[in-house]
Amino acid sequence: MTFYAPFCLPFILGAALMFLIVAWKWGKWLWLLPHEDKMRILRGLPTRRTVAAIGEVVSESLLHRRIFRVNPLLGYMHMSLAFGWFLLILTGWIETVAHIGFRYVPLQGHVFFKYFATGLEHKPVFDFLMDLFLLFVLSGVALAWGKRFYSRAMGMHRTTKHVLGDRIALSALWFIFPARLLAESTTCALYGGGSFLTGSLGGWMAEHIGVMPLMTLESVAWWFYSSCLGLFFVALPFSRYMHIFTEIPLIFLRRYGVRSSEKESSYDRFQVEACSRCGICIDPCQLQSVLGINDVQSVYFLRDRRYGHLRLQVADNCLMCGRCVERCPVNIDLNTLRLNSRDRMRNVPDERRYGYFKGLDRSSGEGKVGYFAGCMTLLTPRTLTAMSTIFEAAGEEVWWADREGGVCCGRPLKLAGETDSARKMMKYNADLFRKHGITTLVTSCPICLKVFREDYDLPGVEVLHHSEYILRLIRAGRLTPERGTTRFTYHDPCELGRGSGIYDEPRAVIEAVGQLLEPASTRENALCCGSSVANTAISDGQQVQIARAVAGELEATGADVIVTACPLCKKAIGRGTKGEVRDLAEIVAGALK
Amino acid sequence: MAAIHFGYTISKPRAIDLDRNNLRKSDEILREMPELQTCIGCGACTAICTAGNLTSFNFRKVHTLVRRGEYQGAYEEMNKCMLCGKCRLVCPRGINTRGVVMLIKRKLGDF
Ligand code: SF4
Ligand code: SF4
Ligand code: SF4
Ligand code: SF4
Ligand code: SF4
Repeated sequence: MTFYAPFCLPFILGAALMFLIVAWKWGKWLWLLPHEDKMRILRGLPTRRTVAAIGEVVSESLLHRRIFRVNPLLGYMHMSLAFGWFLLILTGWIETVAHIGFRYVPLQGHVFFKYFATGLEHKPVFDFLMDLFLLFVLSGVALAWGKRFYSRAMGMHRTTKHVLGDRIALSALWFIFPARLLAESTTCALYGGGSFLTGSLGGWMAEHIGVMPLMTLESVAWWFYSSCLGLFFVALPFSRYMHIFTEIPLIFLRRYGVRSSEKESSYDRFQVEACSRCGICIDPCQLQSVLGINDVQSVYFLRDRRYGHLRLQVADNCLMCGRCVERCPVNIDLNTLRLNSRDRMRNVPDERRYGYFKGLDRSSGEGKVGYFAGCMTLLTPRTLTAMSTIFEAAGEEVWWADREGGVCCGRPLKLAGETDSARKMMKYNADLFRKHGITTLVTSCPICLKVFREDYDLPGVEVLHHSEYILRLIRAGRLTPERGTTRFTYHDPCELGRGSGIYDEPRAVIEAVGQLLEPASTRENALCCGSSVANTAISDGQQVQIARAVAGELEATGADVIVTACPLCKKAIGRGTKGEVRDLAEIVAGALK
Repeated sequence: MAAIHFGYTISKPRAIDLDRNNLRKSDEILREMPELQTCIGCGACTAICTAGNLTSFNFRKVHTLVRRGEYQGAYEEMNKCMLCGKCRLVCPRGINTRGVVMLIKRKLGDF
């Protein structure tokens, strides 16, 4: 039995080309990884992490469980295409073995088995299974068609706008399975076999079409099917479908502890090309939902970066609020990628910059507990006064790092992409903290908190957000605020919630002074105030527009006072409402006897 | 003669010759950030400036001079800015001041 016919050619060429290109890409990216990352991979290979990675590949690359969580119908669509196709390939392979034993069969022999197997006796079980899985995939294709016309059914208001390579691959993909159905059915019409799908369709054809036209149709159908496959394979590495293969190594690398950082590395390529452009990140973006900006979202950012036409304008226009990160089914580290793009486009190392930091020390007071207000808290003096009241009530000796002015924590500059200069600010502050021998560092700004925890080297110093610190004081009985009847609602600051995972402490503190009402979007889904320091592109008016939308949601809870735990959020939301906006520290200080 | 120090200084008077200055870069900057033209020179940005609090850096002065075509030293001065964002929150005209800092640095990097 020869497993070759001329129509196989497009498929063979396409598949060969695809494998070469994918292998070339993977090889290059792996080769270019920094040495430490290569060592991480080698060390991780023989451990349980490999097993865990395999499990994740099955659950994400095949079953797409995380998409199910976004929307079941969307999840089913992705799963039926990926898992269904996988089942077809697997069962097809078993079918070949069942027919002719463990013999070498070229790839096209497996793929076009129906065509070559006409002389063999029929195995109805396999006919049935193959038809079943084909139906499974076809249902996914039908949903994909439907999604183009009516995306809302899958919980998506907007779908991705695609590039040319994507359109070619997408069209080919849409036709692959209908073509397969037609090809297999004509073969069944001529030689019998098939089950409820191909068999029935074949039977119907045999009744209505003559043998000669059927023979022609069969040849045309198989050529068409093979060409669709070939075209899809050739377009795949250049289109979004590269994600099918890229997500797999990405999962392994991630399990071995490889991460993106503020400088670009070849690991980023795995992340960038693992984006399926599913567009799930578009809807949560407030730049889209409130401002109607729709070319900067993560999906477009990654697309532009991948094809090398990323503009600073697009890289800059993002709040880095992390709402999209929370939803991305591939778990791509979107904020870090955005950051290292900015770094590449803007970072200019300058040895002499910030020479004026030398010998600078405006700190005051003495104590093991240090308090860093940060620029934004200095601009909201009520928070500062409230903290001072709280420290006094708890009898805490405090070293004030920057009450008389000081150096910014460095995060705003870092987020703008000037990472090397930001390091200088970080080093200055870290040296200052060490010099004064503090063991606890309290800050009321989540922006500072995040950079202290993630980028500062502060051994022996515990870094606390004031929400955590106040809660400790209350629990230890050092602070006894009086619980009143005021109804509060709480806005989760991005840098505190999604950024640092602190959701419960501020809520517990609020519960200690009054009643807490949750807004519609809360915790991981909380909205961004719109004034994020990470965005230098939107205008003042646009910031206010977002603030109004956010404030509207908070007011809808019917609360008397909006509470937040970030000086910038407080300022920002205050611009969007006529109501009262307070920092957590203020309401606690106000409830002290 | 010992002058009384009131805690602030007054800039020396100077003449800017707009006919002699090359305004090409200034025009480019204003084209990319038209809102800068609405600056009323109130100085709020400078009053709260984190860097200005520690040095003689004067944000209003630098961006005003740049608009007049005086580019000398503007890049170095802007490099004192920490991009903390306070100025943006106090500007009564809602000017994207952090954007201004970055734009001026991008345009005048070679001066
Ligand atoms: S970034 Fe994530 S959510 Fe957005 S399109 Fe890519 S895979 Fe989908
Ligand atoms: S981080 Fe926020 S602002 Fe940026 S793309 Fe994602 S959702 Fe939009
Ligand atoms: S100011 Fe608050 S809500 Fe706005 S980006 Fe920062 S943390 Fe998020
Ligand atoms: S961003 Fe720069 S100019 Fe503005 S207040 Fe901060 S240091 Fe000053
Ligand atoms: S605060 Fe705004 S309006 Fe006032 S001087 Fe500065 S930029 Fe101009």
